Order: sequence, then structure tokens, then C-alpha cells
Amino acid sequence: MATITAHGTQEVRQRRKPAAPYLLLIPAVAVLLLGLGYPVYWQIVTSFQEFGLAQQFGSAPPTFAGLDNYARIFSDSTAFAVVVRSIIFCLVNAGLTVILGLAFALLMRAVHGWAKVVLQIALLLAWATPVIAAVTVFRWLFNDQYGVINWLLVKMGLTGFRGHVWTATPLSFFLVATIIIVWMSVPFVALSLFAGLTQVNDELLEAARIDGANKTQILWRIIMPLVRPVLAIVLLLQIIWDLRVFAQIKLLQDAGAPIAETNLLGNFIYDLGMNRNNFGGAAAVAIFVLLLTVVLSAPYVRSLLKEDES
Amino acid sequence: MKRNRLVATTVASTITLALALTACGGSGTGDASSPEPNDTGAAEAGNITLWLNGADTPDDLRQYLVDTFAKENPGSTLTIEEQSWTDLVPKLTTALADKANSPDVVEIGNTQAPTFTAVGAFREITPDFFEELGGDNLLQSFVAAGDFDGKHYAMPYYFGSRYMFYRKDLWTAAGITETPKTLADFVDDVKKLRTDDLSGFAIGGQDWRNGISWVFANGGELATVDGTEWTSTLSDPNTIKGLEQWQDMFKGASNLPTTAKDDAYWDFINDGEDGSPATGATIMAPAWARWSIGDLTTNDEGKTVRDGMADDTKFDIFALPGVDGGVAPVFAGGSNIAISANSQHPQLAENLMRIIFSPEYQKMLGGAGLGPANSEYVSSLGDDKFATTMIETAQNSKLTPAAPGWAAVEGANVYEELFQKIAEGGDVTALAKEYDAKITPMLNGK
Amino acid sequence: MTTVATRPHAHVSQAAPRRRVLTPRRIGKWALSLLAVVVAVCWAFPVYWMVLSAFTPNALLRSTTPRFLPTRGTLSNFHYLLQSGSGFWPALRMSLSVTLLTVVLVLVFAFLGALAISRWRFKGRKSFILAVLFIQMLPAEGLFIAQYKMLSSVGLLNNVIGVSVIYTAAVVPFTIWMLRGFVAGIPAELEEAAMVDGLSRTQAFMRITLPLLAPGLVASGVYAFLQAWNEFTVALVALPSQTSQTLPLWLRTFMSASASRGIDWAQVMAASTLIAIPVIVFFLFVQGRMTSGLVSGAVKG
Repeated sequence: MATITAHGTQEVRQRRKPAAPYLLLIPAVAVLLLGLGYPVYWQIVTSFQEFGLAQQFGSAPPTFAGLDNYARIFSDSTAFAVVVRSIIFCLVNAGLTVILGLAFALLMRAVHGWAKVVLQIALLLAWATPVIAAVTVFRWLFNDQYGVINWLLVKMGLTGFRGHVWTATPLSFFLVATIIIVWMSVPFVALSLFAGLTQVNDELLEAARIDGANKTQILWRIIMPLVRPVLAIVLLLQIIWDLRVFAQIKLLQDAGAPIAETNLLGNFIYDLGMNRNNFGGAAAVAIFVLLLTVVLSAPYVRSLLKEDES
Repeated sequence: MKRNRLVATTVASTITLALALTACGGSGTGDASSPEPNDTGAAEAGNITLWLNGADTPDDLRQYLVDTFAKENPGSTLTIEEQSWTDLVPKLTTALADKANSPDVVEIGNTQAPTFTAVGAFREITPDFFEELGGDNLLQSFVAAGDFDGKHYAMPYYFGSRYMFYRKDLWTAAGITETPKTLADFVDDVKKLRTDDLSGFAIGGQDWRNGISWVFANGGELATVDGTEWTSTLSDPNTIKGLEQWQDMFKGASNLPTTAKDDAYWDFINDGEDGSPATGATIMAPAWARWSIGDLTTNDEGKTVRDGMADDTKFDIFALPGVDGGVAPVFAGGSNIAISANSQHPQLAENLMRIIFSPEYQKMLGGAGLGPANSEYVSSLGDDKFATTMIETAQNSKLTPAAPGWAAVEGANVYEELFQKIAEGGDVTALAKEYDAKITPMLNGK
Repeated sequence: MTTVATRPHAHVSQAAPRRRVLTPRRIGKWALSLLAVVVAVCWAFPVYWMVLSAFTPNALLRSTTPRFLPTRGTLSNFHYLLQSGSGFWPALRMSLSVTLLTVVLVLVFAFLGALAISRWRFKGRKSFILAVLFIQMLPAEGLFIAQYKMLSSVGLLNNVIGVSVIYTAAVVPFTIWMLRGFVAGIPAELEEAAMVDGLSRTQAFMRITLPLLAPGLVASGVYAFLQAWNEFTVALVALPSQTSQTLPLWLRTFMSASASRGIDWAQVMAASTLIAIPVIVFFLFVQGRMTSGLVSGAVKG
């Protein structure tokens, strides 16, 4: 219905004011050009250059490097490992965040009003905490000597955890990193999905129940299709965000970790630019991450465009 | 270009202007041209900016610089901006390269200095000016960190040093009543002190900043230079000897994880808040760590703090002994200071350097517990054991290689990785070879 | 089997409130409520730990047996941070200016953009939608040199406007996309009908369209607020002067040890708590509207 009426109006307006949409887009396009135009242009140009600190200080001119910076991403085994690690980390985190977020949203729907409010407030608190503070607190919680987690585990009889160092091996480092990122991201997902669920009609569910649908069926056949658009949006956003995660990993590495084996793409770009002064290489990796995100999110983008056309 | 600079500094300069006005009663301030040209050359009046990092330079020292600068340079003002060490490199990378908005004088970490010096970020300190600032009396290792191609660029600002803090009571209880005289004694002692609940020497596996003292003490070097070509020398027999001694000590004396860094070591030698015993008998830390060590007490402001090692039967210090006695060379902390090549008022910036290297200011640094750059004034640090140990260790201290690519080596955590692998019991000779191959190209900025 | 089992339950549950009988479904609801509270406690615990640390003297922060209650609380950390020389108040003012300007710019620009792409089909529309989508996928870690050069060349370093424009550019794509669904959900006929009834275009817009758009605008506003409030990599290079720091930069100054002192973690926690408070207050005000806004936009879009 809505689509049809919208179409009708569009036709009317199109005849009347063909210039209007372009005028309306001017401020947005202008601010994008102002804020991002030059930086993106610089990034693309630099990605094809040998550009280091000497070039930044003007003591040597940048030289054209062709595709060297890009080629290095694939020829360098460290870089390739970082890419693979980042994709896995991104998918695991985005997946976990969305699953937990959905579970919390369903939980909020199923419980008493007071319990719902308690959970919502807890989620809001986590959402509002600055990243630096969040990572620092988690570092304390997982500290080998004074950490509450080790203390609890030892109290529970798992004495092997006395003095256990969580950040020492890549796998357990990423476990802690995942906990932090999921902790920080779930509130956004849970609250969004919960609001989506409030639009699911109670009578519809009751009717389904009376017709003999069991809980699994109700979840998959009725609730999921209704929240699918929201789910798709939050999943896409999580993928975009988790692929470029930087601060959390960096701050966690400062606690003492095998650095080379725990770097993700964001850290890799920062390291390459800031620490190794290879700004050309950093720019190339950044462009590569952009392309990678496009590929990873392609299914969603395609369905978005399809919906838009219909 | 000029206009941009004005926009950028308006806010800041208003504030300094106010400070300067209160400081010297408005005499000459605001007057665009200095009536009597001083002997340091006709400096055009202007506002200059000094970047100091962290809270190390105390407020009274900053005020002194602002006041003195305004007094000696009528019509000009100095703005001091505090930068954080954590984010210094990105800010230097952008602002120092900016002809219109570069700060005029910047403090920079001594391991970062070579990188920026090599790309021409700083203005040359001419031989005459170098003599005027203190010449050969300036801390040599720091001067070297700021040299490039035989010329001076970054000057020493202040130094800190590292020494050993230990639990005298625990050492005595273990039957060791004398502090070690040689490095080998030290290693034996701390190995003897170790139990399952107590590190004889609490040092982290990734802590190379303390660890390289063992290399230096054994006569090893991290890298050598031939002309402008740097070579990593981990495979040098003396370096290997040092690394192997450190490996043996780490395994025998420290309970800390191989991934632990130089971080809050005092937590190990303090008794717990709940009276739980210390978990380390010895640590190696910068001089200021003293104020995080001791028994709990309440200070004048009613704040619960550590008492700064008041009980000297329990807490004490000593300098890390050398291989053949004496004092081992340790890694010096501290920073350099330099004039930006893009400074719009180089004369004024040089005038500021003159104030910083004046006897008055050098003594003020010492009085604040910061090692003064000019060795003539180290006595201003005081004469208690903390001051004398600091001077003693600083005189023997060494810096990391002054290679243009050293910051890249540090930034990429290469040494953390190497030391972690050594701490895990890896074959030192093989590791040294592997990392030499990795580090040499990085040192030369490749 | 399931059919038989489920049906009576459904009926019983409807009758239950009157009879106060603990049926499996009621027990289930209580069990789930309990679970929700347990989850809430887990989620809030790190925040509690942050606030607790903020009230603890730094010397007591690390202890082998954790203290879960503020038995030795102190206000000295906050006292130090809130005194005039600490830089908190100027940074707060700066953060508020940047954040509010960003929120306003984002809302206006994104609304106009969303209007254009949801009410009209025009040449270049699809490319615009795609461009908007892809722009936010570019990692920011490599952009700062160019951002600095740009701001410096136009004299907008240390300036609220310069940073706000960069933030707006970073946030506008997502918000256009979010708002587009809301605008599409409001039939233009509504507005036109109101105009037939004698309202001017502006009046019709203000009275009919705007209220319907409110949830979407709130949602976009919150998103922009959070982004601008927490950002620090751009701020770091775009606001080099100490006098123009934002709150996250101010927090960073407590984060580095140096030659003469270590990191005072209790102070870091107190500073973090101070930074989180305005966000929490803002959230409590708009939370209800926001989530519903975000989602209805998405569902309708």
C-alpha cells in the first residue's frame, strides 16, 4: 500500500519540480565533499606512492609506486595473516553480538516489567561507558594477580586459574577482546531489536499458539521475518564496525600480549602509518579494508537495492 | 598563511597575554617592535609556542619560563601547551610539518628524536649556539640522540634513571644481608630469593627497556653505525652473553608472565592492602616509582597513599651492579628538546632555549627531581640516597640506538616480541640471528 | 504432542492472574525475569567497577582479595578533577559545543537528503545511495594527515566548526540512510491534505510531518551525539592546542606514565565516570523514543 501511494506522489512531484531533489541533496553532498573529499582523495593518491615521514616533512618528494603498496598486502605473510584473522574475528564478533542481542531482546519481551527495566538500564550503562574506561576495567577484571575473574574461578575450585594470564596467548587474548567488544556492542543491538519486537502483534502470536505452533516455530516463522530488516541493519553495522576495530585491541595489547599475533586490520593500518612511517602502505591497506567490507556486505547491499527498486 | 596562524593561536595567546601582563605589569607588552635591540640578534616580536609532554615539568617551572621569556623579549609572549606522551607522535607528524601552525619548540622522547631529526623536522643548533647552551657539559648520550649527519638538532631536556628497589626485610630473611657487588651476584641472589609465591626479581618477559641493561653490562650493543648505515648487532657475542644471562635470570627469579611489560612493578614489592605479603623481593624502576612504594599512610590532604619508602629497614634501593663491580649501564629515561624547522620565529625560539639552558632553570629542574641536562648542575638533585643513586646510574646510562628507524622498531614492538621469546626459553643465538635480519632494514628506514 | 501440550497452557495463562496459581508459564516468566536480572548484573558490573574505582584511593586499587563494596571511599579523585585548573570545565564546554553543532548539522542535512531520496526518483539517486553506504566503510586510521592538512590550509585548526564538519561528514551517511525509511513512511498526501485544509506548506510540515518524524530524528541525534562525544583520533590532530581539547582528549592526558610519575588509575576511572554521566543523562531522556524510532525507520524502509 505504502509503496503504491509513494509512487503516485513521486510521479506528481517529478513533473512539478524536477530540481527539488538535487537542491535538497546540496547540503549533505557539500558537507561530505568538505569533510571527506580531500582526505579520501589524498588516501587514494597516497596509496599509489612511496610516502613516508620524509615526504610528510617535504624533505623528499613522494614517488609513484604503482601497485606496490597493494601487492605487499598479499606478498607479506604478516599482512595476509592479519587479514584472515580480522575477517574471522569480525564475523565471530558480529555474529555473537547479534545473537546475544536478539536473545536479550526476546528476554526483555518475555519477562516482568521491572526485570525489563533493570536489564535496559544495565545495557544503557554499558553503552555509555567510554572505550578507554571499558577496556581498562576489563583489564583489571582479567588481571593475573588481582583480577576478579581469576579470584572467582579459584574460589570455585579451579585453582589452575591462580595467576592465569589471559592475554598471553592469541586465542585467549581474542576471547577477552571478544568479551569486551560484545559487551560494548550488544546494548545497541538488543535495544534496537527489542523496539522491533514491540511491533510484533501479540494477538498474532496468540493466534499462532492456539493454532498449535510451538515456540521454535513461532520464533522462526513469525517473529524472525518481522524483525528481519532491523536484524539486517544491525548485522551490517556490526560487520562494518568489527572489521575496523582498533582502540579495544590496542588498549588490550598494552596489558602485555603477543603483539604480532594479535594485530587486527585497524592496528595494522595505524602501525604501518604511525609507527613505521609508511603512509603509502597504510593508505593502501585502508582502501583494501574498504573493498573487503564492500565484499563482505555485498549480499545485504544487493537486497537493499532490490527492495529499493521494487 | 600568516592569517591562519593568527586564527589558530588567538585563543591560546589571549591567555598567555593575560599571564604576561600580570607577570611584568604590562611593561612593553603589546608593543610590536622592541625599542632596544638585544645582543642576541634583532628578533621580530611574536608569540611562540612550546610543547611540553605530560605533567613532568611542574607548574612553577612553566611559569618561570613564561615570565622570564616575556621579560627578556619585550613584546613577545610564550605559550606552553601540554601534550600527552601517548599521542605525541601523530601530533608531531602533523603539526611539525605544518609551515603555518608548527609549534616553535617541542619536547620529544629521546627514542623518538632520531626519527624526526633524520627527516629534517628540526632546526640546526649551530656549533656556536651549542657551546652557548652548555656544549660538552650537556649529557652526551642525549646529545647523540639528537645529532644527524654530524650536526646538532635536538638538545637534552632532562634525564631520569632506573635503579633497583628491594625488600630489605625479605632479603635479610633469606640470609642475604649485603647488596650484590657484581651482576652475577645479583642474578644468584634473586634466584635464591624466588619461591612459588615470591619473585626474587619481578620483571616481565616483554620488558626489554630494563632487560637491555644486561646487554649493555656485558659490553654488548643493540646496533652499530657505519657512516649512515645501521646494523643490528644482537648476534654480537657480548650481546648474546647478556641476553643469555637475562634469560637464565628470568627463568630462575621471576614468576611474572613472559608477556608482562614494564608496568606498575611496585605492586609486587608492596604488602597488599589487606596485609597480604609482597609477591616480589626486587624490582627495577624509574626513580619516581618511590612514591608508589612503601606502607600505607594518610597524607596531609587526607588521601590514602604509600609513604615513599619511609621504613628503610623494609624498603631500600641500590644501583644495578656491573659485570666486574661498579654500576651497570642502564637505559636512561628522559627527553630531548628542539626547535621546529618550521618555526616562524626562530630567533625567539633560540632565546627560549637560552632560558631553558640557563643555570637558574637547570637548577630548578634538579630541584624538581628531574635530571638537569647540563652536568654542572646535577648537584641540584640533592644528596640523599635517591639522588645519589640516580646520578650514579645516570652517569653510566645508555640510550637506544640513534638510528632514524629506531622509532619504527619500538612502534612495531619488535623488542617486546624478541624478549618474550627469550623469556619463553628460546635459543638465544638463533633468535638473535632472526631478529638481526628483521631489525637492520627497519633501522635504516627501509 | 506439542499441540496438546501447548493449548491448555495458553488457556490457563489467561485465567491465571485471577486465580494466582503457579502454572508452568508463570514459573517460566519468573525464571526468565531472574535470568534477566542476572544478565543485567553481569552487564552492569564493569560499570560498577569503574565507579567503585573512581571512589577508591589509587594506592588501594589493586588488592589480592577484591573489595566489592565502597568501604574505603574517597572523593579526592573527583575533587581533583573538578577543580578549576584540571581542564575539565573547558573540555566539557568544547565537547558540548562540538557535539551539539554536529547533532544539529547532521539532523538538518540528513533530513533534507533523506527527503530527496525517499520522495523523488531522479538520475544519480542509486549512485548516491551506494556512495553513502560505502563511505562509512573506509577506516579512519589512515586519514588524519590529510584531515590535518585540510583544516590547517583553511585556518580551522583548534576550531569547533572544523571538527564538527568532519564529524558531520562521518555521521551523515548513516543518518540519511536511517531517516530515509521514516520519511518514506509518511505519505506526502497527509501534508497535501493539510494544505487543502488551508495550512501553508511550512505549517503543514511543522504540524503534520515533523511530529511523525520525531522518533527518527531522535534516533539519528543520539547516534550523532555518541559518535561526536566519544571520538578522539580526529580531535587529536584537529585540536592540537591544549585549550581546545575535548573530553576524550582530556581523558587521554591521564593515561600516560612519564619520567616523574605513574598513571593514577583511580583518576582515570573518575574522569571516565565524569565523561559517561552526560551521556547517561541524555540517554535516560531520549531512550524510549530512540529505540522505537530507529526500528520503525528500518522496518518501514
